[in-house]
Amino acid sequence: MCETGLKAIKEEKRIMTNREKFIKTLKCEPVGGQVPTFELVFFLTMEKFGKVHPSQRIYEQWDQMSYKEKSLHMNEMAQLYIDTAEAYGHSAIFVHPKPGGIDNIQWLLELIREKSGDEYYIMMHGDPTWSIPDGEGMMDFSIRMYEDPEGLNEESKIRLERSLDVARKLDEKGHLLDGFGLCSDYCFNVNPFFSPESFDELIVPYLKEVISEYRKMGYYTIKHTDGNIMPIVAQMAACKPDAIHSLDPQGGVSIPEVRKIIGNEIALAGNVNCALLQTGTEEECRADVLRSLREGMANGRGYIFCTSNCAYTGLALERYEMMMEIWRQYGNYDIPLQP
Amino acid sequence: MDILNEISENMQKGKAKIVKELVQQAIDDGMDAKVILEQGLLAGMNIVGEKFKNNQVFVPEVLIAARAMNMGASLLKPLLAESGVEASGRVCIGTVKGDLHDIGKNLVKMMMEGKGLEVIDLGTDVDAETYVKTAIEQNCQVICCSALLTTTMPVMAQVVKEAEKAGIRDKVKIMVGGAPVSEAFCQQIGADRYTPDAASAADVAVAFCRGTM
Repeated sequence: MCETGLKAIKEEKRIMTNREKFIKTLKCEPVGGQVPTFELVFFLTMEKFGKVHPSQRIYEQWDQMSYKEKSLHMNEMAQLYIDTAEAYGHSAIFVHPKPGGIDNIQWLLELIREKSGDEYYIMMHGDPTWSIPDGEGMMDFSIRMYEDPEGLNEESKIRLERSLDVARKLDEKGHLLDGFGLCSDYCFNVNPFFSPESFDELIVPYLKEVISEYRKMGYYTIKHTDGNIMPIVAQMAACKPDAIHSLDPQGGVSIPEVRKIIGNEIALAGNVNCALLQTGTEEECRADVLRSLREGMANGRGYIFCTSNCAYTGLALERYEMMMEIWRQYGNYDIPLQP
Repeated sequence: MDILNEISENMQKGKAKIVKELVQQAIDDGMDAKVILEQGLLAGMNIVGEKFKNNQVFVPEVLIAARAMNMGASLLKPLLAESGVEASGRVCIGTVKGDLHDIGKNLVKMMMEGKGLEVIDLGTDVDAETYVKTAIEQNCQVICCSALLTTTMPVMAQVVKEAEKAGIRDKVKIMVGGAPVSEAFCQQIGADRYTPDAASAADVAVAFCRGTM
């Protein structure tokens, strides 16, 4: 056999890294074997590892610390992200850098890569688009939507440029990050905050541009929002994210229905009802997890298994671990799941 | 188009300044304040509520309509008080203890005000005792509890128990809502009604206050 043929066989037989599997899934290519999984946030690190999740930490005296002390903190956080991924078979690590700032983000990324090589896909927040304002700011924001849309769009441009600037800087520093999670929430359970017309005017141009610019720099994007996305999912898909995340069953979102609207070339992530994990019986949770796996894996590609939000503070760890045990048993493309 | 229709139409479009001018004009023309409120402002807000339920308008449209209504209503309030006209019911609302999310709660409040109810807003992070104490002191017919977190939902059960303990359970209706809340949960804790959205919550609260439900 020629050397090229042998190389091809070796390549085929080589076990993919989690990162490779995750990226292939984002490209909607078949991966075989275990369906990839991750969480936007796995908050339960204290219960699992006895350590506060990095996103909950406040380093008020960071600048006062010696390099040695900073380094100990950074190494510990990097290791915690890796430990979480290893413990649950996550293919991706979503970093929530604390403290922020380009240099600290870069430091964290370097440490994760140093400790785990290219094993994991790494992402972080990077959505410049408007999300649902909080209750206090909602009225003012709504008034501006009608009385000052130009002003809002000017602000959107600034927000967009800020996000792209972070991406560029990280790119120039070695491109250790694989992609961005675009996590501005647009929807309530009942319907989106923005009407489809407002969404077209205030969100779509900036969502489209940020995704396109990130892509030019070699970053992948996962667009997240909770709630009922159905009235705007076609508009979201038209912005061409690599994946849409959450697929919130509490908002009535179902994978087959989303697939009917957006087709098969954008990956989908989520759909395990995370509220049910907290409030449902074991049987209900089990049925919901199996349904998510069945519907998500139906195409044989393009699905990332995870909760419909995150492993949030207050969720029983046993329930998350039960979910992951079902994934281990049944979330495998090579083992047909019973209907 | 008569002035009441004009008020309603402009209010639905959120044109607050015009609504205020039209309400003032109606007052100056000698129209009864109660008629202006019910057939102009509240009639318009009812239409907005229905459209919201049918996904024909979305939250920002509801909010700017509510703002227009409030601007018109501010002119009517002293006149209504003078003539002894009262709100069609009184409700206290809040997001339960441990939960700081206020988007849903604020929407429900606005919808209820749009139905002519007086709403006492307890804010967020409200404990069971405060709901019940307020209901007693302010003579509320309805207590509304909102939660976004599954971990804070159990406080709703405490509100029901606290109302029982205070001996007002037969005098006050308890409504629950929020992203993780369901009809099953409502029944499980012995609350009176779960509603999935702000417009339905307002309808149910009105029915409770009128005693038609």
